[in-house]
Amino acid sequence: MAAEISTTQTSSAAVDVIVMVLRRLVFSALGLGILFALWWFGGWLLESNPATMSFADFGPFPTIDAVPYMVQSGTLFDASQASGYRLAVGLLLAIATGIPVGILMGRSNVFRKLSNTPFQFLRMVSPLSWEPIAVIAMPTWDQAIIFLISMAAVWPVAFATAAGLAKLDRAWFKVARNLGASWWDILKEIILPAIAFDVMTGIRLALGVAWIVIVPAEFLGITSGLGYTIQDSRENLMYADLAVTILTIGIIGFLMDGICQALIKRFSWHRN
Amino acid sequence: MIENAQESESFVKTWLIDRIAYPVVGFAILIGLWAIGGWFLEANPATSSFVKFGLVPTLKVVPGLIESGYVAEHVIASGYRLLIGLFLAILIGVPIGIALGLSKITEQVTNEPFQLLRMVSPLSWMPIVVFVFPKWDQAIIFLIAVAAIWPVIYATAAGLKKVDPAWFKVSRNLGANFYKMLAQVIFPAIAFDIFTGIRLALGIAWVVLVPAELLGVSSGLGYAIKDARETMAYDHLTAMVVVIGIIGFTLDTIVGVLVKKYSWQKDV
Repeated sequence: MAAEISTTQTSSAAVDVIVMVLRRLVFSALGLGILFALWWFGGWLLESNPATMSFADFGPFPTIDAVPYMVQSGTLFDASQASGYRLAVGLLLAIATGIPVGILMGRSNVFRKLSNTPFQFLRMVSPLSWEPIAVIAMPTWDQAIIFLISMAAVWPVAFATAAGLAKLDRAWFKVARNLGASWWDILKEIILPAIAFDVMTGIRLALGVAWIVIVPAEFLGITSGLGYTIQDSRENLMYADLAVTILTIGIIGFLMDGICQALIKRFSWHRN
Repeated sequence: MIENAQESESFVKTWLIDRIAYPVVGFAILIGLWAIGGWFLEANPATSSFVKFGLVPTLKVVPGLIESGYVAEHVIASGYRLLIGLFLAILIGVPIGIALGLSKITEQVTNEPFQLLRMVSPLSWMPIVVFVFPKWDQAIIFLIAVAAIWPVIYATAAGLKKVDPAWFKVSRNLGANFYKMLAQVIFPAIAFDIFTGIRLALGIAWVVLVPAELLGVSSGLGYAIKDARETMAYDHLTAMVVVIGIIGFTLDTIVGVLVKKYSWQKDV
């Protein structure tokens, strides 16, 4: 009897999960459907007005028609690859600098108090205003763009790392030291696992800012990347290509943000 | 009495050290690094044409830039765009955030489309926006609003989710209608979250403002940067970078104070 009841319970739980997943899928499809309908309506408005007819290629159908060509010619892939390289190196540099700085801020009161005001000031210098300086300082445009991305992305990583450390219970360090842990052990066994969640949250914010910075950074000077493709299709009046590129930027950003969110969940040790 | 006086004296002392001494020393170190950088530029013949990036040349042009009204003119132009853009983002973002926080269905239906739109880098809308709006000013305001709206929406929604549903029940039982509930329960409860969202939104708007002004317009901080570079007035350029930092820092501090003021949770 007991076994029977528990099987019915598990199967009803399974049904619940399936219903939940289906609900999710239906709602997502509905939401994306509404977005597509709005886009289609916008395209229709452009098309039906003689004054805006030349912009009708912004609509969904001309855009979808342009996708195969942009994929086959390699335009989309090349642009994404060029931007992806700059983004990855820029973020990597931001993380490699931001985490140690954040740990220093979290562990040393003197450093935190000294650095707070200058760091807040540097953080609030809009990243693209460094652009002329970056172009002069760096030998290649690629490096200048990477510098701009790092400059924008380092602050969320550093401040999130410091905030994560500030939440740690001091007693853990005492316990670890009493158990004979070296400085390296404490870093590896306590600090990093404890702050992984906060660091990931910071990286997600950093990615968001880096993604904002990369497009205008690629407007100038270079001839590759998603920002350049936007600029190029505008100058050649290829509005369908422009819309495809915007869509690609949205989808790539969406996927990267989703991966970060999954990692944040995975590293979370707080309740729920 | 004596104990109290001693206590308040030591309080003033720690306050002075933490709030004045540390920031001043920290800032002095930053300025010192800048001075050293300028000295390196000067010492190396290959970079001597960039000497004006250094501390001393920059400080020399600051009084002139302020007196001639150059700084004020571009700060006002950028400030106007920033304020209207942020205002629109808040005006549209807060109601949407409330809708997402109150209704699970709205939240689930909008999730994918909103995340997709949010992750379209704002400046990629630039070509479209320029066609749509008759004036560059409006185009820039739109770009700022479109970038700043997402943090406001999601912070508002997250704030509402933390509100205890029992409060709604209690206020309904006490005869509150929807507007009463909005004014007396919802807004006071989520003011902190809205300001946290506005702080994030301000940061992003500040990032978007400068590149948006690099194109097309002939006023604003972004234009001033571009103009200084094109005329190779590197001292003007660094002066404007400093102005951008100071204004951003001040705005961020003001919103930070508002966040603290509206916080009703313990030590946030």
